[in-house]
Amino acid sequence: MWQSCCIRMYRLGMSNLRIRWTFVALGMALLVGAALELSLGPVSIPVRQLIPDAWGYFQGVHDTNAIVIGAIRMPRLFVAALVGAGLATTGAALQAVFRNPMADPSIIGVSSGASLGAVLTIQLGLSQLNEWYTPVGAFVSGLIVVLVIYRIATVRGKTSIYSLLLSGVAFSALCSSIVTLVLSLAPLETMQQMLFWLMGGLDGSTWREVLMLLVFVVIAIGIYLTQAHALDVLSLGEEQAQGVGVSLQLTKQVVLVTSAFVVGACVSSTGVIGFVGLVVPHLLRIWIGPANRRLIISSAVGGAVLMLFADLISRMILLPTELNVGIITSLLGAPFFLFLLRRQESRMYRG
Amino acid sequence: MNQTAALHTEDLSFDGILERIQCEWASGQVVGLVGPNGAGKSTLLRLLAGVIRPTRGRIYIRGQSISKVSPKDRARDVAYLPQQIPDNASFTVEQYVEMGRFPYRTLFGGLDRESREAVNRAMTGLNLLSFRTARLDQISGGERQRAGVARCLAQGSPIILLDEPIANLDVHYQLDILLHLQRLAEEGRLIVMAIHHLELAARYCDRLLLLHSGRVYAEGPPQDVLSERALEEVFQVKAKTYADPFGGHLRVSYSP
Repeated sequence: MWQSCCIRMYRLGMSNLRIRWTFVALGMALLVGAALELSLGPVSIPVRQLIPDAWGYFQGVHDTNAIVIGAIRMPRLFVAALVGAGLATTGAALQAVFRNPMADPSIIGVSSGASLGAVLTIQLGLSQLNEWYTPVGAFVSGLIVVLVIYRIATVRGKTSIYSLLLSGVAFSALCSSIVTLVLSLAPLETMQQMLFWLMGGLDGSTWREVLMLLVFVVIAIGIYLTQAHALDVLSLGEEQAQGVGVSLQLTKQVVLVTSAFVVGACVSSTGVIGFVGLVVPHLLRIWIGPANRRLIISSAVGGAVLMLFADLISRMILLPTELNVGIITSLLGAPFFLFLLRRQESRMYRG
Repeated sequence: MNQTAALHTEDLSFDGILERIQCEWASGQVVGLVGPNGAGKSTLLRLLAGVIRPTRGRIYIRGQSISKVSPKDRARDVAYLPQQIPDNASFTVEQYVEMGRFPYRTLFGGLDRESREAVNRAMTGLNLLSFRTARLDQISGGERQRAGVARCLAQGSPIILLDEPIANLDVHYQLDILLHLQRLAEEGRLIVMAIHHLELAARYCDRLLLLHSGRVYAEGPPQDVLSERALEEVFQVKAKTYADPFGGHLRVSYSP
């Protein structure tokens, strides 16, 4: 009795305190980011008015403030947060499967595959028949690329992580070059439409997108959480994982297909947004440790926070011009990626 | 065929590395797999653990073939510790030992009371309580190996397979690990390990399986398996064996 009491006290010691504070800080940052996102802009709305105005919008009040909040900024806020959460949790899961802190949703080719699908539906004129054809095309082609890569990397029922990474990189290059080819052959008007789609961004986010993303992202996070402990062992090596009864192929398939769905959904609503999936889980892993359950939950919040602040910066930095949010995440992410690379190398020389 | 053997194999073959391995071991003993580099010790362990599938032959646990058992169910029967425990992982020792409870976790990964107790028992048994929150990348190789054995113990499996558990350890930890394994066998488990150190193998194992180019050269009590002739034929060294003047266990002297 006394011993178990001691153990419990110990568990609530330093590391848990740090983890709690991380979650509290992330939660506060999310609230602050959401409030700023709703209140700042060409029409600025005082923070204390946010809740009454939002409430008003849903009650059918249609003055300027209510419409700006309810129809423009709230969908934008939710799309940004959900895409951030989806990309960051996917990054966390992929980093565990690939046992590589550099893994990112774009690395399995799903982002560029989705771009290719979108561009092709516009080129073939399908996008004019139905507004859903482009996102669905993005989605399907992203999934196809993942499945092809998986097939290539699987020999005799075993999937090699290295060939998965390499074929992902090769397929990304292939898809990107086809996208460029299609762009350069398309007539000017079509090309503009394609570029508009490829650049994506959070402009014109709708409640319908919010609903779609909500379904995909919530289900995906649930699925990742069922795999969290398998991913923990897997990050120590495949044989360690098999030794305690992890079904390697099942875990890899579940994570890859889920990530294809989530990234497809994200790309189809905001275009390719780089580095969120890389930066967020990596930073949090340094801070709260490698256990994937915590990491996935905190990455969901952290990804949302990063996207909200990136969107704020992109909207405010060059007023009245709004930058694409992907520009900001890449501007922050690329130097960070280089920093990681450098740090990892110097650690290797030391060790 | 002995249906009560904890583990037995029938004509087990793998891809030209192992040929027609027959073995049969009861619970409550430590079995050492010995043989030169490349003889197939690790491959045999991986086959027994179900990590790779045999090209021919079968493996039975208490008379039941393991080929149709799900990975989780198999892990409840057989714990397997590969040679490498990564030294760059930042999991804590406790988190690592908890990984042994993977086959018993619920859908979202909760640990029940029984699992908590198993983890505590395993950590107490291997004197790891003071290392609970230490990180795997910050402890010594010997402590890491002890954590590995604790992980197998937490798994609660009656059969534990270890690939060279004392490689790269100093003599203190070599004896420490071997004594722990011996105790686990006395509690009724079957321990099978690959081991290079012949004298320690002879001293701490109840039986040895000597592999030579993928085949069983000899199997039985250490003093029968490690004959001077076997050492010369399999390891290609000239050696004299004799009983230790104090303990009576087998000693080996190699001639240059």
